[in-house]
Amino acid sequence: MAERRPVRLPAKLTSRSYRQPAEAGHDIWNGTISFSLVAIPVRLVDAITPGRVSFRMLHRKDYSPLVSRMLCPREGKVVPREEIVRGYEIKPDRYIPITDSELDSVSPERSRTIEVTNFVDAGEVDPIYYDSQYYLVPLKGGEKPYRLLVEVLQRTAKAGVASLVLADREYPVLVRSTGRLLAVNTLHYPNEIVPESEFSPKADPDKPAEMKRVKQAVGRMISKFNPEKYADQRRRRIIALLKKKMKGKSLVQAPEIEEAGGEAPLDLVAALKARIAKTGKRA
Amino acid sequence: MKLGHAIWDGNIVFASVAVPVKLHPAVREGRVQFHLLHRHDLVKLQRQMVCAYDGAMVPVEDQVRGFELEDGKYILVDPADLKRFDPEASRTIEVHEFVPARQIDPVYLEYSYYLEPGPHAEGYGALVTALSDRGLAGVCTWTMRKRSYVGALGTGGKLLRLYTLRHAGEVITAAVPKMPVAALSARELKVGADLINQMTGRFRPRQFEDKHQEQLRKLIDRKARGRTIRVRRPRHVAPTAPGRLLEVLEAGLKRVA
Repeated sequence: MAERRPVRLPAKLTSRSYRQPAEAGHDIWNGTISFSLVAIPVRLVDAITPGRVSFRMLHRKDYSPLVSRMLCPREGKVVPREEIVRGYEIKPDRYIPITDSELDSVSPERSRTIEVTNFVDAGEVDPIYYDSQYYLVPLKGGEKPYRLLVEVLQRTAKAGVASLVLADREYPVLVRSTGRLLAVNTLHYPNEIVPESEFSPKADPDKPAEMKRVKQAVGRMISKFNPEKYADQRRRRIIALLKKKMKGKSLVQAPEIEEAGGEAPLDLVAALKARIAKTGKRA
Repeated sequence: MKLGHAIWDGNIVFASVAVPVKLHPAVREGRVQFHLLHRHDLVKLQRQMVCAYDGAMVPVEDQVRGFELEDGKYILVDPADLKRFDPEASRTIEVHEFVPARQIDPVYLEYSYYLEPGPHAEGYGALVTALSDRGLAGVCTWTMRKRSYVGALGTGGKLLRLYTLRHAGEVITAAVPKMPVAALSARELKVGADLINQMTGRFRPRQFEDKHQEQLRKLIDRKARGRTIRVRRPRHVAPTAPGRLLEVLEAGLKRVA
């Protein structure tokens, strides 16, 4: 089983102080999903990618990419990964270090297992609870029971209720079928949902004429949901700007950091297209 | 957050309807926050951008923004160029269409807000009723904090709610790894469905008590008082052998039946 990498967790899963982009190709977690007496070895992967065009920060001097590191303000130097430990502030500037295995000890029965305790009708869950989504992918030997859970959840329109422990947090989750894959939706705790009663709904009910007018206006605008319909305008404009800039002197080259093989002359338009396709991962 | 403090206000607009509303976050997170420390002296670390080439620390004024075209080749982009693309400020949540709420897959749901009725919010109650009676959600767009959003206008109780929706391009659908096709027998599917139906109940969010945070706080407290922490190893579960799947499902069904 892979060693846990707390500082590489994707942003949505970590407390603000750790935030660092997930490295491509890394599993977020691997372990077992179980329901009743069935146990399936799985790994957890991202279902969401930042759709915004992402930029890299470069060194003005040589256009070398910058990397984010942790600096010890007392020694004024960068601290290697193995010297970093997670800590909790008990009073101003006093910290208690907490190790990974101590974190695992908080919930040892759940830190490697997503145990589905019960199932619910998938449509019954109030959308206000949904937070982020991931996919589960079967590990070797888990394909058949995985396939069964995907199929049966789909046919019965049910979702599994479970908990997932990742680093310093436990997430209530729903395990859903997309028809091909198991999706894991992290949920908010009920005490994180602001009660509606903090806000006063309008005192006087609307008059029957108003009711009728609104109802008719709504009725005339009914359609089907199509998530592709509302494109990200900003993204489109940025891509147009990048295409224009490619012809100018904005194109720069970073120094070679590692030995790279010989390169054929570059087809810039093709390269831009490929990069944008990769950034967008459009369905 | 202070009660009654809205983060944005404006009007829901469609056809000849305009309803003034105030936006409030519907989720409030309060969790144990950790910091990263230097192991030997427990000094809190700070994030620092470092040059990948020469390892030098690079101050903000020496940082430029680039789009990586391919390995090592970047297009430089001036932040002022990007600023031009900031959407114009507006006070309108424009509803473009109404769709059956259940057609919106949860993967698109990002942040949730309550819309409190603004002053003289005529039509507010009528809109709540019109949406909840027919299970509809309004697909809408608006601008807030220099960003444009696509959202779903819905109801849950007496208040209107607004969910921001992720763009289709943010949802990974292509990254499905190749999987060997495992044949399932009709019997396995039948027993599997029976088992899941037997284990089905109502959705009760109250079952999720955050005991983990409570236990985490206790652990921190014990450590702060200098007590030793007994490290418990994570439990590992033996995977179900593919050849025994039916047998295991049947045994499970017998237990819950």
